[in-house]
Amino acid sequence: MPPLACRDLEETLLHAYVDGEFSADECAEVKTHLAGCAACTLAVRIQESYKRAMRRAAVQAPHALLDSVRDDLAEEPAPGSGRWERAFREPRAIALAAAAAGAAVWFLAGGLQHPLFARRSQLLEAGVALHARALPLDYTGSDATSTQHWLESKLEYGVHLPRFGRGPQLQGARLSQVQSHQAAVVTYTVPEGDGHRVSLLIVDDPEPTLPGVARKIANREVWMSQARGFNVASWRNDEIVYSLISDLDERDIVALVQAAEQR
Amino acid sequence: MLDFKHTDRTRREFESLSLEHLDALYSAGLRLTRHERDAEDLVQETFLRAFRFFDKFERGTNMKAWLFKILTNTFINKYRRRVKEKVVVEGAAREATSENFVTREPTESASNPEQYFFEKLLSDDVIRSIDGLPIDFRLVVILADLQEFSYKEIAEILDCPVGTVMSRLYRGRKLLQKNLLGYAIEQGVVHGNTAMDLGAEAEMSADVLEFKRSTR
Repeated sequence: MPPLACRDLEETLLHAYVDGEFSADECAEVKTHLAGCAACTLAVRIQESYKRAMRRAAVQAPHALLDSVRDDLAEEPAPGSGRWERAFREPRAIALAAAAAGAAVWFLAGGLQHPLFARRSQLLEAGVALHARALPLDYTGSDATSTQHWLESKLEYGVHLPRFGRGPQLQGARLSQVQSHQAAVVTYTVPEGDGHRVSLLIVDDPEPTLPGVARKIANREVWMSQARGFNVASWRNDEIVYSLISDLDERDIVALVQAAEQR
Repeated sequence: MLDFKHTDRTRREFESLSLEHLDALYSAGLRLTRHERDAEDLVQETFLRAFRFFDKFERGTNMKAWLFKILTNTFINKYRRRVKEKVVVEGAAREATSENFVTREPTESASNPEQYFFEKLLSDDVIRSIDGLPIDFRLVVILADLQEFSYKEIAEILDCPVGTVMSRLYRGRKLLQKNLLGYAIEQGVVHGNTAMDLGAEAEMSADVLEFKRSTR
């Protein structure tokens, strides 16, 4: 093989050499060239000096952050530890892709304001806590109409259970309370993406305002917010508040809200 | 119901594998978000998500890279959509490829220690320069130069080919080094003559690159 010349060692390769990406053989070849070439040696030295300078941008995390992370983890159930969560992990193929594409267009057109530090509210906290706990269902069924009938027989108010079309799979519902207001949690799975669980919290208007940042999604005023790493989308229909809660990405939650038909 | 013993054991295992990377994740998060409070939130959410998906983590594989994949995905999903940076990146990329002030063409300044000006700059200047990069470049520069991940690891973290990593890294560094040179001149770390040499080299190297391309 002919010895390495300057023009063989173009700059991206020179970077790769300094970054330690070369094999021992390749390094030996480069070193042979560098021994006789001041220009390439200088370029390597400059690049090394740059890398040393960059390392100074690394910092230590604040002490409080370690505590916050530990606290967060202490509150979180172990992955896959819940009996119900496991039972729900049956993969069934559905496509949210079309809805997600629609959401992407909406995002591009909308100039998004992410509610990163959304105002905490008791509705939000209660909903997320209910979702995270994955408690047993009071009613099991995959049909929206019969689930709605069951809910209406138990609740003091009318419910418009969303119809998702080809969306998430309905698993069932359980009755609950949010600050002494009658509530229900309807559970779904989205098999796409490792069987994410989605909860729909239905509650009789506990607060005058909804948590998060308001947006127009599919002709609804929807409030997007976050708590404990979950994304929440809330809206009102006939004075009843519906909140979709999940660890799905915000884009996918928006896609769900778009797909939800409510009569 | 929940199996609490199992939960505790899993949590301890997760903490023993993940918490040692807290500083690295925070450093990267801080340069990605450019705000301390946002960085803390990003890191907290990263740990929560990682724990939630811990049963998907293949034991014995690269925990740090796995955590960084979650960090960057969380960041991209949350923050990046706020800004229409795509256009900016493309513009900056064109500019970057025409700036090649660090070259190997022999000049009088070849032995001049002023060329090692990077290390004489303040950390603040380094940070300002990183923060000024468009996000696509900032991501690879942070992963390669702050965290020293290999190209292959970065490709896996960002879910893109190694070639893309290399070209983004190269262009990102060019932009960044150009900004650093600006600060160095501003602060008199690099003097006018050297700056002019460096500038002249930039023009020269464009010709050299052209030559290289035509002979390939």
